[in-house]
Amino acid sequence: MSTDGRWEDLLRVLAPQVLATLVHRYARFDVCEDAVQEALADASRQWPVEGVPDNPRAWLVTAASRSLVDAWRSDSARRRREVMVAALDTSAEVSGHDDTLVLLFLCCHPDLTPPSQLALTLRAVGGLTTAEIAAAFLVPETTMAQRISRAKQRIRGARFALPSAQERPERLNVVLHVLYLMFTEGHTASSGPDLGRADLTAEAIRLTRLLHRLLPGECEVAGLLALMLLTDARRAARTDEAGAIVPLAEQRRNRWDATMIAEGVALVERTLGTGPIGPYQLQAAIAAVHDEAATAQETDWPQILALYDVLAQIAPGPVVTLSRAVAVAEVHGPRAGLAVLGTLDGDDRMAHNHRLEAVRAHLLERAGDVIAAGQAYSRAARMTASLPEQRYLTLRAARILNG
Amino acid sequence: MIMMFGGLGAALENRTPDWITGMQEHMMKLDQELRDSGELVASSKLVDPSQAKTVRFQNGAPVPTDGPFAEIKESLAGYWIIDATEERALEVAARVVEYTEFPMEVRQVMHL
Repeated sequence: MSTDGRWEDLLRVLAPQVLATLVHRYARFDVCEDAVQEALADASRQWPVEGVPDNPRAWLVTAASRSLVDAWRSDSARRRREVMVAALDTSAEVSGHDDTLVLLFLCCHPDLTPPSQLALTLRAVGGLTTAEIAAAFLVPETTMAQRISRAKQRIRGARFALPSAQERPERLNVVLHVLYLMFTEGHTASSGPDLGRADLTAEAIRLTRLLHRLLPGECEVAGLLALMLLTDARRAARTDEAGAIVPLAEQRRNRWDATMIAEGVALVERTLGTGPIGPYQLQAAIAAVHDEAATAQETDWPQILALYDVLAQIAPGPVVTLSRAVAVAEVHGPRAGLAVLGTLDGDDRMAHNHRLEAVRAHLLERAGDVIAAGQAYSRAARMTASLPEQRYLTLRAARILNG
Repeated sequence: MIMMFGGLGAALENRTPDWITGMQEHMMKLDQELRDSGELVASSKLVDPSQAKTVRFQNGAPVPTDGPFAEIKESLAGYWIIDATEERALEVAARVVEYTEFPMEVRQVMHL
């Protein structure tokens, strides 16, 4: 997923448009997608050597159509003639923008599992190769190829059109969720040695930016983009030189990306109040309050708590309760925060979540109960599936108990 | 295949922060060395065995239960698969054992 060379960026932008053009002509999403991948591979071999063609999009459409014909050559003669005739019709131009949106909805089809939605979106809309996607998710290429192929099989019969007005809000929620997952997967790798996988994060921001351009009036799309920008702005400060985690309160704020923060804050300000409030807008607003504090001590915690109170009302859930407990502790003291955490103890959804124990450990430490804090850090360390987090939590426990 | 056993509790209890940091650095350095030399084929560290589930055949049907909680010392904690001679594999294992003082097991992966 290297970004050097402008021809690569161009390829990634054109990929969904070319795919949409092909699907309009030949209807078969699964085979068209394979053909576009081949065309992209051809381009990445030829363009750096021969230069970018005058009309790169038409070049890709032609190359993909040719590849499609090759793939169907073994098929019936009747079908071959159909394809040949269709391939000659290169005048058909369609609006790239709406089509990219259709593709995004299709890749985030509710019949697919989230891992499949993610993989397919990265390939068909993001223009990444299977090898690149496999590397991003730390799985073998054959595994990812199979996952993508199955996903395409599953949605073979799906209509290539925007969802109906009734379906749309729910389908858009799925799209936003997939983009959010892509971002968090990159931001905090759920497994593996590197805390952040910047490539997935950058791709999630690129695609959400694209979606925001296509649907500027959707407040939650703007909210999600703002949330990503305001979170990713802290990336450089989230780990130290040795790659270890630095918690928010201890981060060197001059390493935060001021441009991203400014863009995120502007988005939040422009969006809030113009339409229905939603969880992404609220989380973005919370991130903005954090990012606007010059030091951790200057953080406006009452404001953050007020935002969490609203979030807990419109989108209640154990993760929101957990975050709200931190805000409660900052405003009303660690014991008050611990009391809020206590409401999660019987919650099965949190039974295997290390964050509950990590937050409990942090609040116990602040309350001065060091032994219990150390034990909670140890429990959290045993529960996490992230190596950097495990290192951080193990060290915290040892510092308290054996330091 | 070079295998490490035990969980965090068993390996890190009563260790100082300095010892833990040193161990983490030691492991990361060795892992990087195996990557850089091109010997590393695959490697994974597993989540702590206290989080494991076991599926057992009970009363004629497979039943999942939490655990193992006992004998965590014998649970697989992580592994490296390297493309190397046995001598080299034993040397890699020795470099870990030298620091952690916990046993490592070295076995050949079978040919297909």
